[in-house]
Amino acid sequence: MRYSVLLSLLLSVSSLFANGQNSSNSVEDLHRAKAESALIKDELDNARAQTILIKDEIAQARAENQEKLASIKAEEVLQKNKSTHISAIGQGVSPLNTSSPAQAYALAKRAAIADAYRSIAEKVKGVRIEGQDTIKNMMVQKSTIRTHVQAMIKNADIVETTFKDGLCEVEMEIVISYADFAQ
Amino acid sequence: MRSRDGNSNLLRRLCAVALCSSLPLSASEYLISYKYIVENITLYNETLFISEAMKKCNGKPQKEFVLYSNESRDLREVISQNSEEFIEYIHRLGLHVEHREITTNLQNRSTTTLILKTTCFKVDFNDNFVKIAPLK
Repeated sequence: MRYSVLLSLLLSVSSLFANGQNSSNSVEDLHRAKAESALIKDELDNARAQTILIKDEIAQARAENQEKLASIKAEEVLQKNKSTHISAIGQGVSPLNTSSPAQAYALAKRAAIADAYRSIAEKVKGVRIEGQDTIKNMMVQKSTIRTHVQAMIKNADIVETTFKDGLCEVEMEIVISYADFAQ
Repeated sequence: MRSRDGNSNLLRRLCAVALCSSLPLSASEYLISYKYIVENITLYNETLFISEAMKKCNGKPQKEFVLYSNESRDLREVISQNSEEFIEYIHRLGLHVEHREITTNLQNRSTTTLILKTTCFKVDFNDNFVKIAPLK
């Protein structure tokens, strides 16, 4: 009888211990689950932030593409009833043997106008470029670049002229319209 | 039979010839060419050639320009008096641009030439001013 009571007591105590262990395990699981859910939340937040960033990048890229397309359209086609302004700055230097500052100014201005004409011609019609490099024993012996511009320019206007320290700068502008090319 | 008043027909003819010959004197045609060369952004040479046309030019007057003449009948003199304005006018008419640049071992040399090809201008001389217009 005594042994049976002791056995039952032992069993009850062992069952109690077993319950305690189970409860401690379930608490740890809860903590783990909470930590995992927190991690998942963080990951979700990160993913959301990344998607927002990607959306912004896509929107920026779209806007850039639209701007590029618009600029290409504007550059390629001279539209009717719309004119395009092309301006260029030319520089000229007065010769050393001038008799007066006024002459120096006049000559420098003339040279600057020619330079501005050249610049406008380059913009409107383009430049022909030829390059030639001579290499001997793996060393550059001679490097030559030739450029050539040829155009006819009408109705170029002087916008601004500055003359300082013998250097004359002239800003010139031409207006190109569809009617100039339509025949 | 010859009348006492003189030969009126001959007088009329003489007047007509004088009138017709005086008309081209006031409105004449000139050939003008202009060229200037800029080397290494410094003006190197500038030439303006003016010559009275020996043959009649074809075309209609285009952009007219007025030069003050002080009763002078010499176009060269009139242009030299108003050289800056006239050169600006030539620029507006249009110039051929030719630019050559050569860079050898990073040393650069450039030549820019602006040319007004020989063009026929109709020139009207008046008392104090001269009207000039290219014929095209």
